[in-house]
Amino acid sequence: MEALFDASVQEVSRLLGLTDAEKSVLEDADAAASELVTSEFESYVQRKYNDQVPVILRRHNLMGVPIASKYGGRGARQLVQALFMERMGQVGMGVVTFADVHQCLGSLVIQDWGNEEQRSRYLPRAATGDVVLAYGLTEPEAGSDPGSLKTTFVRDGSSYRLTGSKYLISNGSVATNMIVFAYPAEGGKGPSAFVVDTKQKGFEVDMRLEEKVGLFTSDTSLLSLTDLAVPKEDLLGVEGKGFSVAYSALLNGRIGIGSGCVGVMEDCLNQVRERATSRVQHGKPIGKHQLIQKQVAFIESSLESCRWLVYRAALKKDEYEKDISNLALRGEADRLSAVAKYMSSRSAFESADRALQIFGGFGYSIMSPVAKHFLDTRVARIYEGTDEIMELKIASSVLGREFEAYR
Amino acid sequence: MQLHLDGSNSIMAPSESVYSLLTDAAFLATTLPDAEDVHVLDKTSLEATIKVRVAVVSSKLRIKMAVTATQPPTNASLAVTGTGSGSNMQISSSFELSGSSPTTMKWMADADITGVMAGLGSTLLKGFASKKVAEIFEGITKAIEERAK
Ligand SMILES: Cc1cc2nc3c(=O)[nH]c(=O)nc-3n(C[C@H](O)[C@H](O)[C@H](O)COP(=O)(O)OP(=O)(O)OC[C@H]3O[C@@H](n4cnc5c(N)ncnc54)[C@H](O)[C@@H]3O)c2cc1C
Repeated sequence: MEALFDASVQEVSRLLGLTDAEKSVLEDADAAASELVTSEFESYVQRKYNDQVPVILRRHNLMGVPIASKYGGRGARQLVQALFMERMGQVGMGVVTFADVHQCLGSLVIQDWGNEEQRSRYLPRAATGDVVLAYGLTEPEAGSDPGSLKTTFVRDGSSYRLTGSKYLISNGSVATNMIVFAYPAEGGKGPSAFVVDTKQKGFEVDMRLEEKVGLFTSDTSLLSLTDLAVPKEDLLGVEGKGFSVAYSALLNGRIGIGSGCVGVMEDCLNQVRERATSRVQHGKPIGKHQLIQKQVAFIESSLESCRWLVYRAALKKDEYEKDISNLALRGEADRLSAVAKYMSSRSAFESADRALQIFGGFGYSIMSPVAKHFLDTRVARIYEGTDEIMELKIASSVLGREFEAYR
Repeated sequence: MQLHLDGSNSIMAPSESVYSLLTDAAFLATTLPDAEDVHVLDKTSLEATIKVRVAVVSSKLRIKMAVTATQPPTNASLAVTGTGSGSNMQISSSFELSGSSPTTMKWMADADITGVMAGLGSTLLKGFASKKVAEIFEGITKAIEERAK
């Protein structure tokens, strides 16, 4: 196993215990990550979606990491999912984004909110990769404030018809199915969640958003739904309760993104260790210059402080899973997942920046692996809740609901 | 920056002919992929310009390859030095043969890379180098098997 990942796995195993089946998921993750390195970098340099991610994850039976084993998945608890994402993060946030959306925002939502018929219909195929999921909350006019969604649905006999536009959707043009949130056209209740078939008439990929700052290897699309028929069997959860579905997905997803960012910091540390000990300037390896050591110390400290923060959020989520009527536990898991994502994404971005500085001029080249992290990691401070939204959420969790500034 | 690679290949040929071809510069010269301007200097050394591709960027390296030690009929060492496109590399590699028809060739290589290419880091270079090395050994295996027919 890659050394830093191996150290994480050993430590978690020693302190918290990992079963043989869990260790085998993580060994598979390590093998898949090693295989992903070249295609991920090649796609990044060519600024294109890495279509090898689902192929390689599938080959290692990793498409359904958190899906229960009775539906054909690996049945990973959140802690193991976090370790899996940590290893993917070493390869890059493009891989993390694909896996996080398909697994944490997609599969887990169907597992948590779907009825038995929906779970049996979707989850076995999501575990093999025959179903690839996307999550469509954001719209051109609704980002941080999902209350302003414009996508609507009308009831039409035994189906619903959805109309609207979904913006900045990861996996949007490669997914077979997407979780979509829409308000009733007649107004009234809150939004509802649906599992939409992207091959249906009325589903259109308007644009693949390729002109991004980074994250080229992840598909991001602008989608339109025009009178799209969704059978009544694909309503997810209770009509009008779509926000509960959306927010529970984000709770899972934020732990996934935080874990991916831990992996980014690990790779930054690996890269700078190698560079600082081999690059010689002023007669000695640059790692012997104290100002370089300051940057190394920052990356190492950021990594160590975020690693257990992410594991703690995952453990809290696992604790809540065992007692799902306990709302106080849910609140704690929600708060910790926001703290973990907020700290890890900022620390990973700053670590990538400092790693780039250690690499000097080569660090500024598109061919530098740390420059890739620098470009790819920035988005983690935006998607699944911006820095500012995380700050508001964390502050109100301390001050009380009456202080929720975004209400 | 240091890089270690190892692996093994199975070659459907008698071990004596595998050994003599693997230590023969004139034969090795015919198996180098993407090579230009190949000069066999003597029985055990050659020079060539090879194209190295990482992602979409390819650069040219002038290499010198020499068989440095032989312990027939099973072991030998090769040294490769390369310079070009702002990069330098020194590779020391060795192989060990066992069995015969098929002959198992266990090999390993330690590379020391400096200059521009070193900036890519060992994680990435290992990924690309493993592919390239697999391609080289596939070529060698095929060529030996052709000769043995
Ligand atoms: C590459 C990429 C992939 C994505 N993938 C997905 C996906 O798969 N599915 C999906 O649904 N969405 C996805 N998104 C969308 C992402 O979640 C949104 O971009 C994000 O939630 C912010 O929304 P916005 O872009 O509309 O910004 P806005 O909400 O317009 O915010 C603009 C700025 O105002 C700040 N702001 C907003 N409200 C407040 C407030 N109350 N107080 C203080 N500051 C505030 C924000 O923090 C931000 O700095 C993706 C985005 C990107 C870039």
